[in-house]
Amino acid sequence: MLSVKNIVKQYATHRALNDVSLEVEKGKIFGLLGPNGAGKTSLIRIITQITAPESGEVFFNGERLNANHISQIGYLPEERGLYKKMEIGEQVLYLSKLKGLNSAEATKRIKYWFEKLEMKDWWSKKVEDLSKGMQQKVQFVATILHQPELIILDEPFSGFDPVNADIIKNEILELNKNGATFIFSTHRMESVEELCDNIALINKSKKILDGAVDEIKNTYRNNAYWIEYEGDYETTSNDIYEVLQTEKVKNHTLVKLQLKPSRVANEALSQLLPHVNIHRLDEVIPTMNDIFIEKVKGQSHE
Amino acid sequence: MNKILLIIQREYFSRVKKKSFIVMTFLTPLLIAGVYALIGFFAYKGIKDTHDKVAVVSTNKTLTEKLSANQNVAYVYIDKSLEQAKKDLSKANYDYILYLPEFSLAAPKGVELFGAKQPGMSLNRRISGDIEELIKTQKLKESGISQTDLDKLKTSVDISTKKIAETGKEEESSAGASTFIAFTAGVLMFMFIMMYGIQVMRGVIEEKTNRIIEVIVSSVKPFQLMMGKIVGIALVGLTQFMLWIVLTLAISTAAVSLFTNKEDIKEITASTQAQTQISGAEQVTSAAPQGPVADIQKSLAGLDVGKIIVVFLFFFLGGYLFYSALYAAIGSAVDSETETQQFMLPVMLPLLLGYALSLSVVTNDPYGSTAFWLSMIPFTSPIAMVVRIPYGVPGWELALSMAILAVGFVVTVWIAGRIYRVGILMYGKKTTFKEMFKWFTYKN
Repeated sequence: MLSVKNIVKQYATHRALNDVSLEVEKGKIFGLLGPNGAGKTSLIRIITQITAPESGEVFFNGERLNANHISQIGYLPEERGLYKKMEIGEQVLYLSKLKGLNSAEATKRIKYWFEKLEMKDWWSKKVEDLSKGMQQKVQFVATILHQPELIILDEPFSGFDPVNADIIKNEILELNKNGATFIFSTHRMESVEELCDNIALINKSKKILDGAVDEIKNTYRNNAYWIEYEGDYETTSNDIYEVLQTEKVKNHTLVKLQLKPSRVANEALSQLLPHVNIHRLDEVIPTMNDIFIEKVKGQSHE
Repeated sequence: MNKILLIIQREYFSRVKKKSFIVMTFLTPLLIAGVYALIGFFAYKGIKDTHDKVAVVSTNKTLTEKLSANQNVAYVYIDKSLEQAKKDLSKANYDYILYLPEFSLAAPKGVELFGAKQPGMSLNRRISGDIEELIKTQKLKESGISQTDLDKLKTSVDISTKKIAETGKEEESSAGASTFIAFTAGVLMFMFIMMYGIQVMRGVIEEKTNRIIEVIVSSVKPFQLMMGKIVGIALVGLTQFMLWIVLTLAISTAAVSLFTNKEDIKEITASTQAQTQISGAEQVTSAAPQGPVADIQKSLAGLDVGKIIVVFLFFFLGGYLFYSALYAAIGSAVDSETETQQFMLPVMLPLLLGYALSLSVVTNDPYGSTAFWLSMIPFTSPIAMVVRIPYGVPGWELALSMAILAVGFVVTVWIAGRIYRVGILMYGKKTTFKEMFKWFTYKN
């Protein structure tokens, strides 16, 4: 649904985006990852048409991005706020009218969402009367009220307490189920693994990795296993595996093994079976966090 | 376009609904009227009070002429000795005793003034002036000039200024009233441009520090947001201006009719009669409180008030647009109001300069070359032109100045728009002029 093609964004002396391309599929949750200052916000600002790139193109549903798409995109920036002196209901109404909703329809939807998210009596409150988490809820409602096809959330969970974060997460999943496409910009990897189908990793203005979360994790598997066993046996590296780590808890031993090329887990097990009682075998699957750190660090050493 | 309207609406109503706006709008005319009422009251009271009653004790035989009461001092000759008069001072109905001893007309010496309170400098000067005049008259008479000839010498010249309009019609005008209106218009213009320009700047800073800006510019173009804000606040200014005119007129009409009501005049007449017993003076004094009011009314009739208001509105809008765009650019470049200082100075300076020069040089010489150039340069023309207009400005100059201002604000709005679109998304960096120039040159 969204294709970003060869985007270059140049500020005076700093190149914020260098030939970045990516595809966001319809109905998916897409994670845009990268350390601070990598260029995530620059890219989002181009997609939301706040700024324009030096070169490259963005296509929305196959059409070149234009002013008509503004009403089909909802954007919750990382740095977000509300007017201090304006009533909450009025603000959300104003923001959704700017997105092209008419007054009656917007009012109806605001009431629906305020009810749903337990904010019913907030209409005539002012920002000063709300906590930061409450303000975030209001901003979330303002972002999705015009039922955009594409919802871009920049660090959506920062500032939420666990309860409200959960509420919002469920709303995101529900909206997603009903067909909305999401782009998440974040450096909080737990939420990526939980929610995202696909990701792109941007570092130093360049895309360094992208694809489906499962596939990426698969490619980063390195044939390492955790094995837990009982028995008085010292595991040492041999021609099947290499011992990376050993931990002893009472009479249980936990070892991390790295299989040598073209070896399989069964071979390691049959080597161990005569000596010990196996309790558990787990493949070591790298978390997104590990991959993130590895990729970003790897690049900075280049 | 529809979105600009939404923004204008929000900017307008969020300000007009504010308590401070309502209070300011209704209080200011009351304050202005109050100040005028106070001035009127003191002027009126002053007229009543300037009649110092002076008892004259004269042992002078040389001076045959007598001091006569005039509009400032009421002289009463009493037939008492100086000692007796001094004794009676506390209960007598006069404030001072003037003692005229015997002296030669060539060198009058020994004149004394006694009073329960210290006589002021002005009274002193008046009395000595009166005596000098008296001696002069007597000397003239002694050199053989008759009273009738003396009376003939006294003339009073009252210049009534008339301006010949382009149509050839002569219009009654008053330099005083023109200056008064020029000052008022100049001060108002300066205040309005400053006040509302700064409101635009505050609004921009508010949106930026609130961080709502990014949400809004993902729905509308930064230029739309800036223009919506500028136009919305301009409408607030116009609303306030209109209300002020209406309210000030209403209040001052009420106040004027209160001040010139007949009972007051009667009272003045009665009191002056009691004091002076000279019928000639009574007319002068009773006419006095009406003087300024009638004067203003007369010359207002001569001035084209409608034209002045229309020109004022045009230059207010033009000047406001011209400056508020610059203020918007400043607001976009900073993170908080305290950082605005360095940018405010270059914007304030031409406005202040225009204000100061307009109220000094231009009011003194409204047709001079300084006045001409100040009213052409768009940085100063809003103030200079409204100051010049009550004195009359050739049509072509007015048209040229308006055209230049219109071009001027298109240029500043364009420049400001380019700085604004970049500035509003910049946080945490201390902005310099160099940086602002860079933003200006950014593509798109």
